[in-house]
Amino acid sequence: MNGHEGSERLTSATPRTDIGVADVLPMVRLCGVSKRFVQVLANDRISLSFMPGRIKALLGENGAGKSTLMAMLAGRFKPDAGHMEVAGQPVDFASPREAIAAGIGMVYQHFMLVENMTVAENVLLGQEGGIMLNPTAMRRRVAELAERFGLGIDARARVGDLSMGERQRVEILKLLHRESKILIFDEPTAVLTPVEAESLFAALRAMSAQGKSIVFISHKLEEVLSVADEIAILRRGRIEGEFLASEVESPAELARRMVGRDVVLEIEREAVAPGRLVLDVKHLSGGGLDDVSFDLRRGEILAIVGVAGNGQQQLVEVVCGLEKPRGGQVDILGQDWVNFFQSRAWKGALAWIPEDRAGLATCRGLNLTDNLLLTTRQGFAHGQWLERSRASETAQGLVREHNVQPGNIEAQAWQLSGGNLQKFVLARELYREPRLVVAEQPTQGLDVAATEAVWRRLLEVRKTAGLLLVTGDLAEALQLADRVAVMFRGRIMNQFPVSDAAQVERIGSLMAGLKD
Amino acid sequence: MNLVIRKREKSLGWGVLVVYLVALALALFVCALLLTLSGKSGMGGLAILFRAAFGQGYSLLDSLVKAIPIFLCALGVALSFRMQVWNIGAEGQFALGAVGATWAALTFSGLPGFALMPLMFLCAMACGGAWGLLPAALRLRLGVSEIISSLMLNYIGILLLEYLVFGFWKDPASFGFPMTAEFSSGGQIARIAPGVLGKLHWGLLACPIAGVAYSVFLSRTRLGFELAACGEGERVARYAQLPYAFLVFLVMGLGGALAGLAGSIEISATVGRLQPTVMVGYGYTAIVVAWLARLRPWGIAFTAYLLAAFRVGAEVMQLEMQVPAAIGPIMEGLILLCVLAGQFFLTYSVSLGRAPKPEAACPGGNGAEEARP
Amino acid sequence: MSPELVIALLAAAVQAGTPILFATLGEIISEKAGVLNLGVEGVMALSAFAAFITCHLTGSAWLGLLAGGMAGTLLCGLHSLVCQVFLGNQVVSGLALTLFGVGLATFLGTPYVGQSTEGFAKIALPLLSDLPVLGPIFFRHDVLVYLCYASPVAVWFLLNRTSLGLGLRAAGEMPAAAAAAGLKPQRLRAFGVMAGGFLCGLGGAYLSLAHTHLWTTGLSGGRGWVAVALVIFAFWRPGRAVIGAFLFGSVMAFQLRLQATGTNVPSSLLLMLPYALTVIVLVFSAARARRSGAPAALGVNIEPED
Repeated sequence: MNGHEGSERLTSATPRTDIGVADVLPMVRLCGVSKRFVQVLANDRISLSFMPGRIKALLGENGAGKSTLMAMLAGRFKPDAGHMEVAGQPVDFASPREAIAAGIGMVYQHFMLVENMTVAENVLLGQEGGIMLNPTAMRRRVAELAERFGLGIDARARVGDLSMGERQRVEILKLLHRESKILIFDEPTAVLTPVEAESLFAALRAMSAQGKSIVFISHKLEEVLSVADEIAILRRGRIEGEFLASEVESPAELARRMVGRDVVLEIEREAVAPGRLVLDVKHLSGGGLDDVSFDLRRGEILAIVGVAGNGQQQLVEVVCGLEKPRGGQVDILGQDWVNFFQSRAWKGALAWIPEDRAGLATCRGLNLTDNLLLTTRQGFAHGQWLERSRASETAQGLVREHNVQPGNIEAQAWQLSGGNLQKFVLARELYREPRLVVAEQPTQGLDVAATEAVWRRLLEVRKTAGLLLVTGDLAEALQLADRVAVMFRGRIMNQFPVSDAAQVERIGSLMAGLKD
Repeated sequence: MNLVIRKREKSLGWGVLVVYLVALALALFVCALLLTLSGKSGMGGLAILFRAAFGQGYSLLDSLVKAIPIFLCALGVALSFRMQVWNIGAEGQFALGAVGATWAALTFSGLPGFALMPLMFLCAMACGGAWGLLPAALRLRLGVSEIISSLMLNYIGILLLEYLVFGFWKDPASFGFPMTAEFSSGGQIARIAPGVLGKLHWGLLACPIAGVAYSVFLSRTRLGFELAACGEGERVARYAQLPYAFLVFLVMGLGGALAGLAGSIEISATVGRLQPTVMVGYGYTAIVVAWLARLRPWGIAFTAYLLAAFRVGAEVMQLEMQVPAAIGPIMEGLILLCVLAGQFFLTYSVSLGRAPKPEAACPGGNGAEEARP
Repeated sequence: MSPELVIALLAAAVQAGTPILFATLGEIISEKAGVLNLGVEGVMALSAFAAFITCHLTGSAWLGLLAGGMAGTLLCGLHSLVCQVFLGNQVVSGLALTLFGVGLATFLGTPYVGQSTEGFAKIALPLLSDLPVLGPIFFRHDVLVYLCYASPVAVWFLLNRTSLGLGLRAAGEMPAAAAAAGLKPQRLRAFGVMAGGFLCGLGGAYLSLAHTHLWTTGLSGGRGWVAVALVIFAFWRPGRAVIGAFLFGSVMAFQLRLQATGTNVPSSLLLMLPYALTVIVLVFSAARARRSGAPAALGVNIEPED
């Protein structure tokens, strides 16, 4: 269990003892908990205490071991070493059910909700309290609960019809119904508008005031600073520091502690002179879109920001040729939509870097050569014959040039980590020398180093192409883009250059649909 | 102690063979057990099976003859399974192929063999292919599950064959037996060497041709690559602009054509006429073969031979030991179930993990001991 | 056609629909739990034999019925073992189950072909059977038909009004959510498959104990596949399954009657009717079924996490 000794330590290995209120028993305590997977030590002797009435943020990059820690708390994994205590008593969860019974509740990043069932059924799943179900009584119970905690929601609604914010409320109701004493939130704001996030924070504070212990897992620094009482930093499976939120001087300091080195939270970008028009969308409507108009030139980055599910996906599907534009006009590289997608040129045209890199941009069960061929096969074909050996050489070259790990082109896509997979997808798409690039959430789930690499590549793209960047991450949009367009309910609320500070200030309210 | 299940990072290599052999042994063991329970000799049954597969010259040749239609049907099935299209209609496509070939043979009975034979194959492949395209069209246009529609078309295809044999095409000189007149000599596939090689006929040639075409198509052509990529799902196909619908039609049409070809070869070479008894379930065996072989051409060739041999073995058992012929499908079903279960160990590794030991005291941290008053 | 003939035909339709309804309901439970079971045909064949042989040897029709149900449960347990424990492909496992089940029934049943059994006798229900028209159609059957009347309600109740049913549906829609709620989706699925197998087994038992009263090979005759198709037609709802089952019952009864009266339509074409109808029914319901009712995780195995 070594190998990380070389990494610099910012605080001593022993967590500070002045965290929390000394004369109160911790709600949950982790004592030297370790968990090893095949090659990685995901959690290394982690000791943490979660106190009632406190909000503790667990800050760490992807791959730092946050989800493993959560899974052990939730009773899905057992620790290899160390133990956990609930209210001073050692516990050894054999199943999620036992963790729930011990008062530990989770709100996962991907909601654990059955879309085809009602709110009431979801809240009471596994907690029905009896063999028979009485739908009326179930609805009443859930409605009362929602009212008691001020979480307005219709207990009869089908979860599939709810917004992300409402679904999160259903998740919280599930925990409240079980009378969970400790509520653990995994990246809870990822799917929320700034306004919804604010009301979530208010709810968190209210619940902590009622004596619940709240754990808030995130990698968004500002958020953590604004809501948490205490902050613990997890890096490479270890606790690298634990302190009160009030002790932290700046987000930059926090970032340094999280990553273990100074990070470029800001990337220098030189302006590139805009070239010819590559994408021209005029009054695009239908299929969830409402009179969308914008244009994009070579050398430019236009960021479409907004909360997921406000028409961004529909827009991307039209621009990338999956859906026909129903109303309005879309011109790509000077051709109209129909002509452009009839020619289907693989090179020098359009490249799409979708959000779902593991299920859409690549095939899990194919090796890297075949995954390269997925969008470049025209380039390796003589009529019907495919030149596999040349494709392998090219794949090998791209893997080396872009430092994709493991460097073996026989590896199948599922064996690559998210960051490496994204590097590979980028390498492949840029190999096509596109003149229009559409990138959806290109750095979602990536660690800081991989994010930086992806950002640099995207900025390079400007030399030869125009980039349409669809992102929910405002920081990313402001870092990379020349112009920002805010989407809400299929409409573009406003678009402006990022230099327009007054407008940038208002992005949050625009994302929530507020014009003034 | 508890079981720890992990996804394998590397392929199992020779372990694959071990897994398959264990699964096969388990299935055969259960069959032997069944035989013993029904008062027959289990070991005797197994001995007959192995004799059919690897023993005497006569049954060996017989197995090879039976392997021909199974191999062709299995190639067709494997093609569609590659893109997760579940064509289980090979049996019906086989029947339609036989019908198509019979139509050609009866209508143009005066033609010489070099003209009639290709015509029969062509008609067989067209009919079988059309029978395969039907479920494809239903799935793409209306969203009808190809599993059920292709299966229903099996029943309908066989009944259509019976309808024709009992009706229009019935040979007046057959004394009431449901069969057509014998094909003219131009419509019958000749045996390779009747004295030496028994029933083995020139239809065997179709196997290497189809097998090589199959592997070249999949590994060397663009369309073959696109087919493999489509197996990962319709969404990926849309992303990569793969011609998904076209490929569904292609695999179902080609699969049907191969099964139809098998049907025409079977009737032309083994009975020389159309009769309902040619429908013995090769189309279903082909599904078992395709899956056992994990859709690979060499595997299909070997497995087709093995299961054909088991069929011959089952026939011999019926004759010598009065074992019901149904032992055949039982064996196929059991082998498939065991291999399906065994394939788990190809993807996952299972090991015994150690149970965590709770420690008495908490090392470091703000311990509860100190915190308690 | 005379009114008597129509009534007799409809009464025969009720009988022909009964085994299909049992099997369809069984498959609905299984699919609601997320497991596609294409082995229904094999399950029906084997349980028909199990019911026959038990009744033949013990003389008790009720024991025979139980044996049929248990045979279905056991065979589906095998499917569950292959798919839930060993994560085998559900489509292929179901096909293997059909091969195995039909084969085993034929293998074991060969010595008994043509032998008859007592089975269930017809019982005219007091009062109800005297109703005009309805009485002879619905209330002069054997006890299994009456059991069949109750089964859609029972299945509906299980799925929609019990906590077990809620868990079952969650396992079929999103196993991860069920697991997060402290349920065990694998076990719920196994239960769904086996409970469904029991119902399919009752359908099979009906064939030998009440429909023919004798053992022949090929007794299931594609009914299992019809049931799989009817689940889609029914949008996974027990109520609509009733309509589908009796539609097919009518066609089968009609076809039998036509054959018996000796028309000049060849029997091969008549025999095609139910299979062709299955395809037609799917054509008219498939598009809507995809949008309404199909469990989201149907056919998808629960992979172990590490």
